[in-house]
Amino acid sequence: MATDSSLTPELTPESSSSHPAEAAAIDASLRTSLVVLTGSALVWLLIAGVLAIVSAWQLHTPAFLDACEFTTHGRLQPAQSNAFIYGWGFNAAFAVSLWLMARLSRGALPGSGVLLLGAVFWNVGVTLGVGGIILGFSTSIEWLEMPGFATPLLLVAYALIAAWSLVVFRAGRSHQIYASQWYVFAAIFWFPWLYSIAQVMLVFSPVRGTVQSVVHAWFSTNLFLLWFASIALAAIYYFLPKLLVKPVSNYYLASLSFWWLAIFGSWAGISRLIGGPVPAWVQTVGAAASFMLVVPLFILGLNFYGTLSGRWSALKDSVTLRFIAVAIVALSLVLLAWVASALHGVAAITQFTYFTAAQVQLGLYGFFSMVVFGSLYYIVPRVLNTAWASTPLVGVHFWASTLGVALLVGALAIGGIQQGLQLADPSVAFADVTKATQPYLLAASVAWVILVIGQLAFALNFFWTIGRASADCVRSAKTLLTVQPEAAK
Amino acid sequence: MNRAPILFLGVFCVLAFSFVGLVLTNQLTYGAFTTHVDEDEGKAFPQQLPGIAAQGKLVYQDLGCVTCHTQQVRREGFGSDIGEKSRGWGERQSVARDYLREERVLLGSQRTGPDLRNFAARKTPAGADFTADWLYSYLYDPKLVVADSSMPRYAFLFKTQKIVGQPSPKALTLSEAYAPEAGYEIVPTARGEALVAYLLSLKDTYAYPETKNVYTPPAKPEGTVEEKKEGTQ
Repeated sequence: MATDSSLTPELTPESSSSHPAEAAAIDASLRTSLVVLTGSALVWLLIAGVLAIVSAWQLHTPAFLDACEFTTHGRLQPAQSNAFIYGWGFNAAFAVSLWLMARLSRGALPGSGVLLLGAVFWNVGVTLGVGGIILGFSTSIEWLEMPGFATPLLLVAYALIAAWSLVVFRAGRSHQIYASQWYVFAAIFWFPWLYSIAQVMLVFSPVRGTVQSVVHAWFSTNLFLLWFASIALAAIYYFLPKLLVKPVSNYYLASLSFWWLAIFGSWAGISRLIGGPVPAWVQTVGAAASFMLVVPLFILGLNFYGTLSGRWSALKDSVTLRFIAVAIVALSLVLLAWVASALHGVAAITQFTYFTAAQVQLGLYGFFSMVVFGSLYYIVPRVLNTAWASTPLVGVHFWASTLGVALLVGALAIGGIQQGLQLADPSVAFADVTKATQPYLLAASVAWVILVIGQLAFALNFFWTIGRASADCVRSAKTLLTVQPEAAK
Repeated sequence: MNRAPILFLGVFCVLAFSFVGLVLTNQLTYGAFTTHVDEDEGKAFPQQLPGIAAQGKLVYQDLGCVTCHTQQVRREGFGSDIGEKSRGWGERQSVARDYLREERVLLGSQRTGPDLRNFAARKTPAGADFTADWLYSYLYDPKLVVADSSMPRYAFLFKTQKIVGQPSPKALTLSEAYAPEAGYEIVPTARGEALVAYLLSLKDTYAYPETKNVYTPPAKPEGTVEEKKEGTQ
């Protein structure tokens, strides 16, 4: 099965690297760490998937599982988003960013002990956090619901894991710093800053009044833009030219979009507070910074669509490219929706509706997760030095994810706009507004079921591949010990 | 961009810029905002929550009510929260000072359910004031009092107990289909009582200086006269 000819080239370990032996040594040094990080990411992805189905179902069938406080919607929904963000998102981002950094810097991981300890701490922290939310210790701050007894552990674990990306960066043999490395390098510094400030100013020693709302908007949009989007952009800048075997078009603009995104993006988040009880200048600055996102939208478009143009047929042969192409479309839509939502007239309608939920899912699932899926299809066979166990499962995963995201985001966006228009019209009773969203919420639940089918296919394929790889290891170890005892010395 | 130290410096400065500009500036300017002392009434507004309501807020937080309910009334003309033709969710827009005493500000981001900032000052669908009894029934099973409600039940905030002596004054009055067996009554737990006390404390009716004389957009888009309108007192 390992030599299945129908497998697309990147699903098998044979690569056309310029330093094949070195690349193999780097991949081997990352094996244990990446298997642990990816494995735990997938377990969290499935947990978050099940929680998502239940909490989405509760929105159109409120009586579903409402008899017990542990399964009430107000707890399951934050448990879902935290399991997805900190369980799936971070573990996956650690895995992808470490691999990208090691390969691009041409540095092997010196040892995986500390990193594995960090991974254990991280997953224990997320378990405590998500469990804490379900048991009623939630802080009720969106994306920071995990109680204070879990979060310091996360920061310690983060340091133990992320430091290794910097170690391979500094110790590597490459003297070039490529766009992917800027993004990973920056994201690794930005996240602990954002997270510790948010924890201190919101949870441990809360600031007064709606300054909290400003800090929160600053944190949560930057968590998306400066962490998740940075890691995903790093992966796109790596895989697009690599798989298409051509340079990124208009690469000279990439550094401009990097700095532009960082400078204005980090101010743009507060546009979500338009119309809120915060100083007017904060809202205005947020809206202005959001408009500035048009520039990186344009440059990233030139870089990515420009590289892909004329080579769309390559998508047929490469799963990784297909996932990334979907993600690029999602990214364009995320930025467009962001700019549009900063307009007062639009914000008055879309604010507080399912439209904002659609934006979040488009960013976290349609963009970030799709990039990570595509990257892992390339990374895992190289790190394990074995081909993916099943090609049909890859197809199931791709189509379920693409259709699921399209249906989820489409339903929430259209339902949200309709909800916003009706909310703005006081002649429509509130209960009728809720009733009118029901079909869209039902569609969103169906979308989550489709997404989870894809996730199951991915997880099954991953653990199957690991099983096969370890079976190979056991076999070769036996051969080594029985046939060539002297070689084992 | 081939020098790691320069890259690091840039990366540091970029986030420092937004941290100083947004977080620190706001903290230093209005983070020290004070309460408004009303000399006529001899009180400082906003007022501290009564103890049981403060406990109720913790219940509100641990049940994640903020997932579906916002707590901010937007200004007239922005959405339809307040004003002449509106949902009447408040008497005035929410201002920063309203949240001064709150250790956790729960603005919220979804209006799956209605805004609750000024909940206790509003009227029930039948036009009466909200009472603890109404809320107990609503939380126990929303459909008991609002037939088309889409809120889940919070029956776990109630307990069935044997009637000893006089029935409890807080016991739910339920129709036969819902009523417990004879000799028993359904009463709110301590958490249920605290949550209801909190919900009944949600009232932003005091008019601060900054909520008077606020700009109100003209009624018609073609309107040529823009006038300043007196806010609600």
